[in-house]
Amino acid sequence: MGLLLAVVAVPALAAPLGLLAARSRSAARAVAVGGLGIALVLAAYALLTRSDPADLVSTFPAIDTGDLRIPLQLQGTGPALLIAAVVALVGLAVQVYSVVYLADDDRYAVFAATVSLFTAAMLLVVLSSDLVLTLVGWEVMGWCSYLLIGHWSRREGPRRAAHKAFIVTRVADIGFVLGVVILAAGAGSTAYDKVLAYWTQGSADRTLLSLALVLLVIGVLGKSAQIPFQDWLPDAMEGPTPASALIHAATMVAAGTFVLAQLFPILVLSTPARVVLAVSTALTMVLSAITAFGQSDLKRLLAWSTVSQVAVMLSALASAPASVGSGPGVLHLYAHAFFKALLFLTIGWLGVAAGGTSAKAVRGVGRRSELLRVAFLFGLLALAGLPFVVGGVSKEAVIAAAHEGAQAGDPAAWVVFAALLLTVVLTAAYAARAYLVVSAPTGERDGATSADDPAPSVPVGVSTVLAVLLGGTVFGGLVLLTDLLGVNGGVDLPILVLTVVLALVGALLAWRLSSSPDQVRRSQAVRVDPAERLLGSRMAMFDNGFGIDRVYRVLVASPVIALAGLVAAADDSIVDATGRVAARGVTWLGRTSHTRHEAERPATGLVWVGAAVVVIGAVGVLAWR
Amino acid sequence: MALTLLLLVPLVTGAWLVAGGRHISERTATLANLGAALITLGLAIAVAVARPTVDRDWLPALGSRWHFGVDGISAPLVLLTAAVGLLVAVHGIRHTPEGGAPSTFHGCLLLVEGGALATFAAADAILFFVAFEVVLVPMWVLITRFGDPHDAARRATAGARFVLYTATGSTLMLLGILLLVLRAGTADLTALPAAAAHLPHGTLVLVAALLTAGLAVKVPLFPVHSWLPPAHTTAPTAGSVLLAAVLLKMGTYGLVRLPLATVPEGWATVRPVIAVLGVIGILWGGLVCLVERDLKRLIAYSSVAHMGFVALGLASGTRTGLQAALFVNIAHGVISALLFVVVGGLKERWGSVDLSRVRTALREVAPRFGFVLVVGLAASLGLPGLAGFWGEFLAVYAAWTAPAHVGLFRWCAVLAAIGTALAAAYALRVARLVWVGDRPTDAQRQASTGVEADRSEQVVTLVLVTAAVVLGVVPQVLLTVTDPAVRAVMGR
Repeated sequence: MGLLLAVVAVPALAAPLGLLAARSRSAARAVAVGGLGIALVLAAYALLTRSDPADLVSTFPAIDTGDLRIPLQLQGTGPALLIAAVVALVGLAVQVYSVVYLADDDRYAVFAATVSLFTAAMLLVVLSSDLVLTLVGWEVMGWCSYLLIGHWSRREGPRRAAHKAFIVTRVADIGFVLGVVILAAGAGSTAYDKVLAYWTQGSADRTLLSLALVLLVIGVLGKSAQIPFQDWLPDAMEGPTPASALIHAATMVAAGTFVLAQLFPILVLSTPARVVLAVSTALTMVLSAITAFGQSDLKRLLAWSTVSQVAVMLSALASAPASVGSGPGVLHLYAHAFFKALLFLTIGWLGVAAGGTSAKAVRGVGRRSELLRVAFLFGLLALAGLPFVVGGVSKEAVIAAAHEGAQAGDPAAWVVFAALLLTVVLTAAYAARAYLVVSAPTGERDGATSADDPAPSVPVGVSTVLAVLLGGTVFGGLVLLTDLLGVNGGVDLPILVLTVVLALVGALLAWRLSSSPDQVRRSQAVRVDPAERLLGSRMAMFDNGFGIDRVYRVLVASPVIALAGLVAAADDSIVDATGRVAARGVTWLGRTSHTRHEAERPATGLVWVGAAVVVIGAVGVLAWR
Repeated sequence: MALTLLLLVPLVTGAWLVAGGRHISERTATLANLGAALITLGLAIAVAVARPTVDRDWLPALGSRWHFGVDGISAPLVLLTAAVGLLVAVHGIRHTPEGGAPSTFHGCLLLVEGGALATFAAADAILFFVAFEVVLVPMWVLITRFGDPHDAARRATAGARFVLYTATGSTLMLLGILLLVLRAGTADLTALPAAAAHLPHGTLVLVAALLTAGLAVKVPLFPVHSWLPPAHTTAPTAGSVLLAAVLLKMGTYGLVRLPLATVPEGWATVRPVIAVLGVIGILWGGLVCLVERDLKRLIAYSSVAHMGFVALGLASGTRTGLQAALFVNIAHGVISALLFVVVGGLKERWGSVDLSRVRTALREVAPRFGFVLVVGLAASLGLPGLAGFWGEFLAVYAAWTAPAHVGLFRWCAVLAAIGTALAAAYALRVARLVWVGDRPTDAQRQASTGVEADRSEQVVTLVLVTAAVVLGVVPQVLLTVTDPAVRAVMGR
């Protein structure tokens, strides 16, 4: 069926069309919103009418180079179509939101076209049944993220952030490309089914498989902003908020989860790859949750929370035993798409109302708009993993999976399990902090807004988008009533109780810290920012991600540039100089012989000798015949 | 007939224009170039489709025949050459450099084109060599007469370096060809593989080494690449485009036709060396690009890196590798032509393309040029969906799956993959220095009027961007053309 192809192709074509229509803002708008609208309808239709097992759908004619077959096919499995529909929904939400958010931007059309292409690339990754198609979507997403983060290229901040994001992820992609090459080289094909079939057979070289998967995992860690690649993502907040929502919620950073989920049958065979993934994600989820708590800017808080939550998704793939499968990880990807899109788009509009997203600026803004406050609250509840909202359902599934892996005796799963429990506390703490800041009673004023300010106007486009995402956040967990993701809806009661208790502990900690140290103000029920009270001036350290940027520069960038300088010098003074010296030598020889001969007078007799040679030669040639 | 005309039209028109000198007006020269290039492109399409051959006696003493023909390996290059020839002619409508008679300039462009077409169509080793050399002189004229008007001394050294390096390479290649032809008793490229198969192993290796060393200069492979950056920097825009899109391809094409196809046994011995040199080129070129200050030199060094992927693919000894090499060949032709049109245009307007000078961002004052530059950079860093991706990915794959010297080639694959990250680093470096920047003040905007691409540049870049996208989205259009010929070459 051409339906799947259309799901990818329609938004992909909307990108060049949107650029062509750039002269007219309304045309560009129609193309952008229409393209993703159609993609959403098609994806939903494909989801409802899917066949089981899913058919392979050809896109372009297969490439066959003799040693390698690249079939370039798509496959609409249940999880793929579910995630595709969510991706299209978030993409559409972002397009609608951008119409309002970038109403005054002279490069709106370029932005909207890039969003279309970005979403198409993610849809390609999700629906691909071919490693090369996955790689295509993967890299195109990286490039689009460069354009989106650097959208406001008239300022240095976005320029640098875009540059950094692309370079960091591209460096990690060295691993991804090599991983794909090794996996394909074994199977002689890039089709997922062929690759899985080849590497799961007993005769396959397990060391080589582990090498391939470790490399692939490195690529995923880069795109998903996991330790040690984490620092590009918070910087990417320099991009417009809708771009952040797209990158964080449903596309780029979450893409690795889906790719690894598709490769789960071989991932479970490789302990080294799983250990690398487990260690990185366990560290990332805890450390970035701590970093999130100390951010002085709420948008950056959400960015760090993405890093932490993506670690949660990936950790499910690192710890779930083969019997559980990739379902919990994908479920958390699904859940995160809703609540993180909701949170970003809400904080974006709160920022518009408050004139900035720093904790000081947005303080109390939630009090002025019931919709924004409620949307933010539910997004944070889901983030903190409270039961029944979508994030809670998925987080419990992840924790249960890790627990099961740990019980099966997998030490990596124990690490993940412990890190997950710690993360629950920390997540609840920073979520509570974010809510306390936004809904703070406005007894004290140090920001730019006050309760007397008029309620911020929320255009109908924005409110619709927020309402839809809010609906997804609250009711999205109902997906468990279907068997799309292969996660059973049963509740593991001890784990449920444990996570709720831990989350409450975290929230209470934040609440305790928010009581003002000042007696008088405490009596007025004024609440302070818990992070500010706990950390004070040390928040600056959290803001710059503990100086990891500097580490990147010192450990990677500077040595490479120094090496480049060395190579450039060698190119001139050794490689090129050899040629120059040779040429000079020849010139010298020529000149010397020239001056030697110049001193002599030509002997006239020589002319006669020459003439005689010519004549004899001519006679000889003629006589020969 | 079409094949003979394909060679005669550009060569005769070119010779007439060069001979006419100042007697031919600029207008006539431009139109003659356009007309000839257009007819040549038509003929090239006809030849690529119908695949005719010409086969006459020529030099019986050497076993050499007047033999031309195209197959799946040469047809894309013939098309690329004819297309680039036309684009260069279109570009020349508004950009005829000072330095000599306009008709000399246009004539030389046509002579380069004709010589390159003859090189790609030659089916005889001696003929190949003759055609290969025909290109040298008009290219030298383009560099030394019509190059950078600011610096006569640099033009002279760049021209001299170009001639010295390529002539040295040609001498080695000639030795190899003569040795091969005399021992095998034929110069026919189709008959050579069978005729040379019985030669002693030592001879085969020597022939392969001589041919490879000679052709490596033209590719260019590390460490004989250092003629390229000065040649590119001083050549006029049209010269740079021809140099990158056509001339370098003659080197890689020669590697496929001569050592790889005619003396596979000798080539197998040389292969690991070529792979290593190719990979060094990838890293070397990429690293120099990180610190190079002159944008034109930077693009030239990036060419060294890209041609390293061609060498790696060829050296892998697999069908995928050969396919990859042929693909990178064409893709680089399109991408480098695109970049040189933009960068050459900027140099004409700015006087220099020194990256250390802060200039008003292209995105702000010349959005069309900016867009084309960014597409070119994205293609250059191997972004999927643009021409650069497929060949380089397949080259890495081919290196990983090389049948012999497995360990060495796998390391080469890893290093080549690292090279793609370097490509991203230098492409973004250029983007950050040239494409994006602060909002210009009114004065800056005033000073930057006229930077934007003019009509002929818009046409040329639009065609090249389209080609880059088509090759990136539907690589099959090229891969299916080269496939039968690749099978034939690698089948033995």
